[in-house]
Amino acid sequence: MTIHGLWVISKAGGLVFSRSYSDVLPPQPVNTILTLAGILHGIHAITAKLTPAPIPGVPISGLESFEAEGWGGKVFLTPTGTKFVVLHSLPQAGLDDLLRRIYEIYSDAVMKNPFHTPEMPINSSLFETKLQTLMSSVNA
Amino acid sequence: MSQAVGYSTTPPSSSSRFSLQSITSSSSTTHTPNPPSLYGSSQNPSSSTINNANVNPNRRESARSSIIPSQQGSSSLQQQLFGSVGGGGGAGSASNQQQYLNILDRPLNKTKAFEVALSSWAFMFSEIVSYSQSRVDSVTDLEKRLSSLGYEVGQRILSLILLRNTQTSNLKDPKREHRLIPILQFVHTQIYKFIFGKPADGLERSSEAEDEYMLISNESPLTQFISVPKDMSDLSCEAFTAGLVEGVLDGLDLPARVTAHWVGDQYPDTPQRTVILIKLDGKVMDREEALGK
Repeated sequence: MTIHGLWVISKAGGLVFSRSYSDVLPPQPVNTILTLAGILHGIHAITAKLTPAPIPGVPISGLESFEAEGWGGKVFLTPTGTKFVVLHSLPQAGLDDLLRRIYEIYSDAVMKNPFHTPEMPINSSLFETKLQTLMSSVNA
Repeated sequence: MSQAVGYSTTPPSSSSRFSLQSITSSSSTTHTPNPPSLYGSSQNPSSSTINNANVNPNRRESARSSIIPSQQGSSSLQQQLFGSVGGGGGAGSASNQQQYLNILDRPLNKTKAFEVALSSWAFMFSEIVSYSQSRVDSVTDLEKRLSSLGYEVGQRILSLILLRNTQTSNLKDPKREHRLIPILQFVHTQIYKFIFGKPADGLERSSEAEDEYMLISNESPLTQFISVPKDMSDLSCEAFTAGLVEGVLDGLDLPARVTAHWVGDQYPDTPQRTVILIKLDGKVMDREEALGK
């Protein structure tokens, strides 16, 4: 039960933050992660379009998780369109809770920081330290 | 309805607050037999009474503004600034009136239930900082700007706290500190407690200079969410607090130069530790000496 990494994808589909929290998955160059995040954004948009019977009034969420051999990913979409993607080992419990905690940290450390420009890469040391604390408590 | 038409001919909000009150007082008489079409759900007769009596004031407001569309923007802003319009409008909303008391009509010595959420403050302070940042060229200027904003706040807070203290002691023995150490302790405990909900984490006298004192806070609620980028590393947004302290000290006739310094790099346990450095004016030290022990 490990969290391998976290991506934050902006409303427009750009990768604004990515960190690796374990060395299980092979490290990828930044450009590869950027491409992957863009593809994921696209797939998410397509799956949201494909929803056969959308419930009126409930936002369509699209792709929620994906699984591969030994690892998987969980997508969390905020009401403003920012996506948090957690890459994790299988099986993994408590992901919803974890993603909500990440969202909370994001709102505190990123959105309340006057030096952050929306839709731009996240450059907050506070965000990184808080995430690091959270991830090491989960990975422990 | 004829009265409501008369109201619509009044010029839209010449002086915001009072025109609004006259509107609401007139509307309380005219509005009770509301045109049912204005309420979406009032086709259902059982719910319509509820709607008329105590649906939240926004509904009333929107119903009214559909009569006069030009009023909508201004009145909703007024509603935020001056509390509920519906509360003034009567119509059995005494509890509403209690809840959304006009900010100017609130009792000065009552603070319960009028607290502001930390998040709203954090977002506003974030906007203040980025607004100020877009209007200055250097880190020093930004700190000066924040500090001058804090100064204004400090002056007002001082008056308010002194008034409240006097009122709680039943106007007997009104007290205003005049000596250096009690004043600094007053800032350390009372002012900090009023702003942040807890006293400062330390009040120290500088070992290097006699006229320098330091207020230490390990984590300030004001700036706890802010992380300064590396190229501005000597900026401390606590300059606002520093200005605030300066305003308070100045109000107590203790002129000083107050600056904020981030020292978290020396304290790994408390990475946000900030020191508010108070450098007292020379005349304060002279006065203290003259007053003696």
